[in-house]
Parts: sequence; C-alpha cells; structure tokens
Amino acid sequence: MGKSADLLPGTLDMLILKAVSLKPLHGYGVLLRIQQISGDALEIPQGSLYPALYRLEHQELIAAEWGVSDNNRRAKYYTLTSAGRQRLQQETEGWNRLASAIALALNTTSEEV
Amino acid sequence: MLRKLRSLFRVLRSRDDFEQGMAEELRFHIDQYTADLVRSGVSPQEAARRARIEFGGLNSTQEECREARGLQLFDHLRRQLRHAGRTLGKSPRFTATALLTLAVCLGANLTIFAVVDSILLRPLPFPEPDRLVTVFNSYPKAGVHRDGSSTTNYYERRGQIPAFAELAIYNEGTALTGETGAIESVPFMRVSAEFFSTLGANLALGRSFTEAEMALPPAHVVILSDSYWRRHFNADPLVLGRQVRVAGVANTVVGVLAPDFRFLSSEARLYFPYATRLEERAPRERHNGGNAKHIIARLRPGATVAQAQDQIDAQNTALAGDDPQAKLLADAGFRSVVVPLRADHVASIRPTLLWMQAGALALLLIGALNLANLLLVRANGRIKELAVRQALGASRWHVASEVVVETTLLTLTGGLLGLATGAAGIRLLDALGAERLPLGAAITLDARLALVALSGSIILGIALALPIAWFNLSAHPAGAIQSETRGGTPGRASQGLRHGFIVAQIALALVLLTGAGLLGLSLKQAMAVSPGFRPDHVLTGQVLLPRDQYPTWTARLALNQRLLEQLSRQPGVLAVGAVNNVPLSGNNGKSAATVKGYVRPPGESLRGHYSYGVDGDYFRAMGFRLIEGRFLSGEDSQRGQRVCVVDEDFARFYWPHASALGQRLFAGAEETKDADAITVVGVVGAVKQAGLTDDAGQGAVYYPYALRTDERLFVVLRSSLPPESAATALQATVRQTGGDATLTNVRTMETRISDSLLTRRAPALLAALFSAIALLLTAIGTYGILSYAVAQRRREIGVRMALGAKPQQIRGQFLALGLRLLAAGTLLGVAGTWVLGQAMRSLLFEVPPFHAATLAATVCVVSLVSLAACLVPAHQAAGISPTVALADES
Repeated sequence: MGKSADLLPGTLDMLILKAVSLKPLHGYGVLLRIQQISGDALEIPQGSLYPALYRLEHQELIAAEWGVSDNNRRAKYYTLTSAGRQRLQQETEGWNRLASAIALALNTTSEEV
Repeated sequence: MLRKLRSLFRVLRSRDDFEQGMAEELRFHIDQYTADLVRSGVSPQEAARRARIEFGGLNSTQEECREARGLQLFDHLRRQLRHAGRTLGKSPRFTATALLTLAVCLGANLTIFAVVDSILLRPLPFPEPDRLVTVFNSYPKAGVHRDGSSTTNYYERRGQIPAFAELAIYNEGTALTGETGAIESVPFMRVSAEFFSTLGANLALGRSFTEAEMALPPAHVVILSDSYWRRHFNADPLVLGRQVRVAGVANTVVGVLAPDFRFLSSEARLYFPYATRLEERAPRERHNGGNAKHIIARLRPGATVAQAQDQIDAQNTALAGDDPQAKLLADAGFRSVVVPLRADHVASIRPTLLWMQAGALALLLIGALNLANLLLVRANGRIKELAVRQALGASRWHVASEVVVETTLLTLTGGLLGLATGAAGIRLLDALGAERLPLGAAITLDARLALVALSGSIILGIALALPIAWFNLSAHPAGAIQSETRGGTPGRASQGLRHGFIVAQIALALVLLTGAGLLGLSLKQAMAVSPGFRPDHVLTGQVLLPRDQYPTWTARLALNQRLLEQLSRQPGVLAVGAVNNVPLSGNNGKSAATVKGYVRPPGESLRGHYSYGVDGDYFRAMGFRLIEGRFLSGEDSQRGQRVCVVDEDFARFYWPHASALGQRLFAGAEETKDADAITVVGVVGAVKQAGLTDDAGQGAVYYPYALRTDERLFVVLRSSLPPESAATALQATVRQTGGDATLTNVRTMETRISDSLLTRRAPALLAALFSAIALLLTAIGTYGILSYAVAQRRREIGVRMALGAKPQQIRGQFLALGLRLLAAGTLLGVAGTWVLGQAMRSLLFEVPPFHAATLAATVCVVSLVSLAACLVPAHQAAGISPTVALADES
C-alpha cells in the first residue's frame, strides 16, 4: 500500500466535499475517489466514512439521492449542495493559508531569523 | 439549527426507510469492496473476510450514523417511553390511583384557572386596554361610596383633562322593541359620541353617533350589536338606513358593531345616543349621578392614572370655588376617583377568586405529595432491579432520565384526563352561576388554557421525578442488593422523606378543611341574616312601559292603579304593591333627604339614604314590620299626598329621643319652601337594601310613587299559593292591562336573596368539594404509607413475634407511628389555619378568623380519617404469622 499518511482530524469532511464536488458519488465511490485524487497517499478508515457522510447530509452540505450504480445496483449518490460548495471554498482557502504559513515557518533558515 | 431540525424531521417521518436505506448502503459498500478485492486476485472467501474486517463493526458504524443524524436522543426517549408504559401497565392499581388523583387535582385547578383567566387575566377586548379607566364620584362621609358620574361631569371634563385622550359617558337600560303583539325587551346602552372611539372599537358597518345627535329633540338613530343585526336583520349588509321600532318610535340604523365587541359585562344589543337637555348639563346637576351614569376614559399614551387623578382633583377644586354646595360636599368627603376600568369592574370578586385558586393549588399539592409518596414506595420496591442494572453499566443519567420519562408520562396522561375534568368543572361552575360574575360570561376552556394545563402537567412530572431520582441515585447499589434480599429495615432518608410528605399532607388537608369550614360558616351566617321583610311567598317582576303609550306621569300612575287592582283580584293574592326598585336588586342608589329643623353638628356630613317610591300595598306585600304610625297606601300615591314612611335607622338617626311621626323633611340636599315639605306618617323596620351582609344602616325613605320621578316599576305580589304559580297570572295580567307593557326579571324574593349570595355560596361549595377530595387523598396517602411500612417490615415483625412479641404490641407500634405523623401534621396545620384565617379575613362574615369550634371539628375529622386509614395496616401487621413471614424470601 506504499506510504500512506493518517488523516489530520477534521480533514475528512473537507476531502469528502471535494470528492463529491467533482461528480455525484456513492459512499464507496467517495472512498475510491479520495484515494485516487490524493495519489493513494491518504488512508480513510472505512468505518468512519459513513458517519461523516451522514453528518454532512444532516448539515445539508451534501444531498443524497438513490440511483443505479455501474453494475446495476441501487446505490445512494451524494452531490454537493450550494451550502456545501461555499463551505468547501472556505475550507480550501483556510487550509491553503494554514499550509503556506506552516511551510513558510518550516522553511525558515537561520540566516533569515 | 433550522437545517438540522429539518433534516431530523425528514428522517423521523420515515424512520423505517432510513434504517433500510442505511443497511442497504453499507451492504453495497462491502459488496463492492469484496468484488474489487476478488478482481485483484483474492479468493472470494478471503475477500469477504477482509472486506468485513476493514470496514469495522457494522453495528457501531450504524449507531454512529444515527447519532450523526441526531437520532439517538429520540431512540432513547422512545425506548424509555415504551419501558415506562410497560411498567405502569404492570401495576394497574397504582396507575389508576395516580391518574385519578391527577385528573381530579389538575381538573380542579384548570376549572378555577379558567375563571381566574377570563375574569382577572385576559385583557379586555380593546386595543391597549391598560389605558382605559373609569371615573366615579364618591361621598364617603355621607355613606355614599360610589355614585357614578353626572352628565355635568361629562361636559365639564371632556377635552379639559390633559391626561385623557378621550372621555365618554354611558348608562344602561331595557328597551321595548318591535310591534304590538311581538314586543321584545332588549337591553340597551345610551352612549356619548366618542364612546366607541374611547374604547378603540371599530364599527363593522356605518358610523358612531355625532355631536348633533347628543342634543334634543331625539335624532332617533340606533347602532346595533352584531347579534341583534344577525337575528333581526339576517346580517343584511344594506341595513344602514333601515328601521328598528323602539317604544313605538322608528329609529334609523346608522351603524353595526363588530362581532367581538363586548363592553365589560354589558348585554346591551342596541345603542342610542346619550342625548340630554341643556339643563341636565348645568352646574347644579353636577352631583346628580345616582350611580346610573358612568364615565370611561382613555389615558393619553404615557399618562398615568395618578396624573389623571391629580388633574381631576384640581378641576374639582376649581369648580367648587363658585359652588353654593361646596361646604356640604367637603363635609361629605366628596372626591372623584380615577381607577383602571377592568380592575374596578372585577375588584369585588378578585380576592374570592384568588383564594379559590389557592385552594385548588393546595389540593394539587396534596395530590402531588400523595403521588410522590406512592412513587417513592414503588421506587423502593424496584431498588434491587435498579441496583442490578446499575451494576451492569446503566449510567446515572440513564437512571434519572428514566424516572423523569415515567413520571412525565404519568402526569401528562393525567393532564389530558384533567382537561376533561376541567371541561366538566366549568359546566358545574356555570350551573353554580359563574356566568353572572363580572366578565363571567367569557369563561371558556380554549387552546391557550389547554396548553397551560399540559405545560403544567409536564412541570409537575419533572418535579415529581426529583425526589425519586434523588432516591434512586443515592441508594448504594451493592448495599441495596444486600439489604433488600435480607429484608432488613428500610433506608432512613427515604423513610424520613415519605413521613415528611404525609405530615405535610395532613397539615394541608387541615388548612383546606378549615378554610372551607370558615367559608361555609360565613355563608350560614349570611343566610341567617334577616332581610328585614318576609321573603317567602313573594313574587316580583319588572314592568317596562313603552314611552309612546305612557308619555306622561299621570298615564303611568293610572296604569299602576289598573294593574294593582287587576292583580289583587287574582286567586290567592294577599297583597300587591309597586315600587321603583326592590331590595337586593344590586343597583340601589342613595340620595339626600333634608330633615326640617335638623342642624348638623359641625363636621357631620349630609347623609345619603336609600329612597323608594311605592304604590299600592307595597309594605304588606313585601312583609315589612310596622313600628309606628301607618304604611303608605295606594291612595297616598294617587292623590299625590306629601307624606312618607321612614325606616327605624332613619328615625333613630334624626329623632333619637322623639317620635318620627309628624316630622317633616325635604327630598334633596336643601330645605326649600314649606309647601314642598313631606310629613312622616309611619316608621317601618330596617331592610337590607344592597345585600344581606351589608350592615351600613344607612336609613331609607319611602315616598308615594307619584312623588318620585324614577321611571322604573316593579310589581310585588304576596300570594298564599306557591309564588312561582302566580307568575303566569302576573304575566297575563300585565299583558291584558298594560298594552305593550312588558314584564321581565320575574323572580321570587327568595331567589333574589339566594342570588345575592352567589359570591359566597359558590366558593363555599367549591371549598367543601376540594376539602372532601383532600381528605380522601390524605386517607389514601396515609393508608398507602402505613401498609407499605408493614409490608416492608414483615420479616422484622416475624422475627419479633417469633421471639415473643404480642400482636397488640405490633399493632400499637404501627398505630403509634400513625399517631406521631398525625400529631405533627395537626400541629403544623393548626399553625397554618391561624395564618389562613388572618389572611382571608375579608371573605369572612361574622366569623372570627380563628374559630375554635371549626378548628376542633376539622381536627376531629382529619384525625378520624387518618386513624381509620392507619387501623387497617396496623391490624394486618398484628396478623402476620412468624412462620410465613420468615419463610417468605421476597
């Protein structure tokens, strides 16, 4: 499975929103998509995916609808709501700010102090 | 927040779909993963195993999903409700007792609260009703505390008092409407032009009266109430301009009131302009209120009653400057009083109602204490089960919430039953005459009250849960398991609590019973008061005369004569007379009389006296006592003799050392020319004029009917037959003799007396009912606690009996326990009754607030009931067989 990183707390919701923003997905699809777009670097504990999905649906950040999967089975598809899109944007910006700040801090050399 | 609630609601609505969907979704995930693993070369069995392991616990995931959707609280509640329902169902005797107690106690409170709400709490149906006030003249030192207002007052005040935005005057009466043969008597009001705008009431159709319509000759215009419009005009939208015949004269409809218009307790269905002659507005008529005309006003926004009072006082002082009667008025303590309209209207029954509510709350408290005790006993019985569950991991929160759910389920069900009881109670109150109270016609059980009742039930449920939860949580699980299986003695703390509840219950029951006793005794004393005449076999009725047929005073007197003559020929009639107002009619005004030659000592005020005009054989018909001289006769009235009869109070006041006979007096506040003097020809016994419990002894003067100008006419008839049977004859005679004259308000004098005691009788009856229930509850409570104590100590008793204790000792021990509780409760209760008596002094009539005989009787009753409740369990205890008790493992 190569080198996979543990998720930082609170980032699963953001990843789910991102995954669903690209295309409506069922739960298993979300799992695969996150692995795919993170270059297999992130490992999602499968059991914690669904409570997270339900929580996001409860907050109406994503909406669920029953559809048919590729192999012709009934599956629940999640799509991003407009509130979800807003939240994703906020979280992305927040994350980028945080990441660049931390990167800046970590790249500091002794001359720059 | 809203989003989450919406989502929760969606899920709750289709809970099964949610569960199914979740299971399907998770299964789909695992299946897909398995398939993917198989595709990557893992064997199917191995794939399935790995998929399930990697997914983790399916159950815990599902639980987390439910939690994510906020469902666990509801699941929890639902489980606990089902559990509570089951446990309550398992002890039907307890549940039935509890529900019955709650239904009665909550129903009683709801009933009384419905009355309190409609009479004391609900705002009057006008915009900003708090700004409405009434103003009345008071002459306290003349014995006239309330005399309404005069037309002069109205014209002098309107626009002149800055604190008032608007001011209006009105009076009430009964009109005869319709054509001959279909005459109907209709209550009406005469109102000034700004009456409706002062109240802030809008007319549904048409307009209010104009200033021009308040002048004479009459404009013959009328405003209809909604009900009159519907009944007589079939709700015709084009009614404006149509006619209503009143006393034979056509009146043009100019307006219709809105359906919800209701002015205080008035039943008026027609409204006429308050039209007066200029002389009636003159300064010399300023103090001619006669308690028939009333002023209402709306305070300007921001203005206070105190400001209005100051301005009225200032105006009165200014007007007194050039008033020849100023000295007289000052001696009489004259003042115009400004009071909030609603508070003034209900002031007389406010204390009674609040005491009734207090009584109902005491009853509820007794019921609640009973329930708390029964629940504690049950909790004690379940302590082992609870200990086991706690040992197995039930959290403290879970234990506490379970109790709350159970008691709330109980009280909420009881509350629903209480709604039914309350509805029945309101019907009972109606039967007792509650709708005759001020604003009493509006008493209803509406959704708002139901909501209050159910919220109250929930609060009660939570309150009841507190001691039980405390008990459950304070019990040490391990200790509980041991002590109960070995059948030792019960925990001290919970026993103390139970006994404390019983003591409180006994004390409360005692207080309630004493209160009922004091009210009952007051009623008895009031009923024992002699009205001063013989009310048996006396029938009375009011005759309304159409003005067109009886335009002159002479025509009216002629009718009196014909009517009295016809009536005296009816079978069984012993005496018949006429008067302008019967005693105890509720609106007995007073007016001044001046005795010739009487010099008022300095500082003594002119006195107001009850004044009557009588015709025919009034005194004999009513059964007055003749003390001196003679009664007035029909002849005095017909010939307009200047004679009068006074009552003993009047005679004693003015001629304490001489005979009243032959003395002369003047009707009115001043001595005028000798030709106007009226000679006293008789002295009669004093009569209760305003009410049986009214002890003012204000004095009364009876003039021949012809001398008075009061237009009202009552006929009074004494019959040897039951008076009710004379009613038909009376009705028929009035119809044959009087043209369109109409008889209303036909009641026996005994009914009038009993009706005048309404605000004493109904509370006394209710208090008696409450105390009976309280006694029953106390008996149930005492019995329950003692028989529980016996059951709990079976083993101990068994051991002691095996060691030689005698049954009498055991019985004595439990009786002693009962007596101890009773003694403590009685002591507390006696202290309570003392406080109660002092506090409810204003409701008592000729009964001291601390009435030893009542108290002794109540203590006896409560003791007897409690002891009887103790006897059975004590006897059971003595009958316990040692072998059975010791072998019994429970």
